[in-house]
Amino acid sequence: MPLESAISTVLAGEALPLACTHMQNDAFAGFYERSARPLWAYLARVSGDPALADDLLQESYIRFLGADTPDDGEVAARRYLFRIATNLLRDHWRRPRQRSIEEMHEELFAAADPSAQSDTRAMLGPVLQAMRPRERQLLWLAYAEGYSHKEIAVITGLASASIRLLLFRARHKAAGLLRQQDFPRQQDVSERSSR
Amino acid sequence: MRFRACPHDAEVKDVLHRGHWPHSCAPEIRAHVEGCKACRDLVLVTQAFRSERAAASAMARIESPGVLWWRAQLRRRNAALEKIARPMLGAQVFAAAVMLIAATLFLATQVKQSFGQNSSWFSWLLSWVGELPRTFHMEVLLPVSMQNSGIAAWLVLAAIGGAVLLSGVLVYRFSDER
Repeated sequence: MPLESAISTVLAGEALPLACTHMQNDAFAGFYERSARPLWAYLARVSGDPALADDLLQESYIRFLGADTPDDGEVAARRYLFRIATNLLRDHWRRPRQRSIEEMHEELFAAADPSAQSDTRAMLGPVLQAMRPRERQLLWLAYAEGYSHKEIAVITGLASASIRLLLFRARHKAAGLLRQQDFPRQQDVSERSSR
Repeated sequence: MRFRACPHDAEVKDVLHRGHWPHSCAPEIRAHVEGCKACRDLVLVTQAFRSERAAASAMARIESPGVLWWRAQLRRRNAALEKIARPMLGAQVFAAAVMLIAATLFLATQVKQSFGQNSSWFSWLLSWVGELPRTFHMEVLLPVSMQNSGIAAWLVLAAIGGAVLLSGVLVYRFSDER
């Protein structure tokens, strides 16, 4: 937007065109309805902190609306949104100490109060807590969201070649933990109780 | 642990993605999964994460999209205002710098011209201050008894100081209100 028109628009108190020009207010409302819950689930489960997920969800959408988002459909827009959320999570983890995400202790990533997770009926809670943050991210994006290795590379900023190996290891670890918890039977019980 | 990709990995993923597992998929795929550890892991982890996604999505506390739209607008407007204000601040700093340089140059030339006639800094300053009311023809505002004394000069200096102080306060109040 040229500076001259920005000045007149701001001084007149009119609505500024958002950078996400292809998506108008109504279209955004629809996109938001479809994508907000999965995004919140991703943020809450990967961070282990529902309150943080609330904050990062809002910030993700605000940045999404202010950014030059890809204009090639909802799938690309959604991927871009997950990328913003992933960057925000990484920034949050880096904020307390200027260290790499891999070097940080597990306690920093977990919610302060473990009971905050128990009320969520999270079957995966103990498994996710035993995983490293990067592993949680990769597993969620691959198996909960169904993204391909290439898409995960775009979202996380990791090399596409390393995703395959990292994901294989994480999956092996998660499967072992799930078997220890007798996961399929636990799932049956929870489904029966919800009926 | 050895990394070994199963050749049926993509097929199993596709069946899971379409929701055909376990009842609507081909029996040979089911038989393969029974005997393949990597594919068993894939099925187990995918099912666990899918059900967790469904459970967590139901718990999300979602705000109205209008609020987010409005917040994005507000942030963009603030950014635009900041962008507008930046060149103005630059111009103000430039004007202040030019003023300062001009004042320094003026003072330097005054000192150079007058320093030869007076022996010290203090005496030069006193004589310069004494000349001030006459320069601006301000002695006419004072009583006759005070016109030739040094008090007039100090009164002028105090008035200038007061004006500077007052303008500083006014500028601060004005910028604070904005």
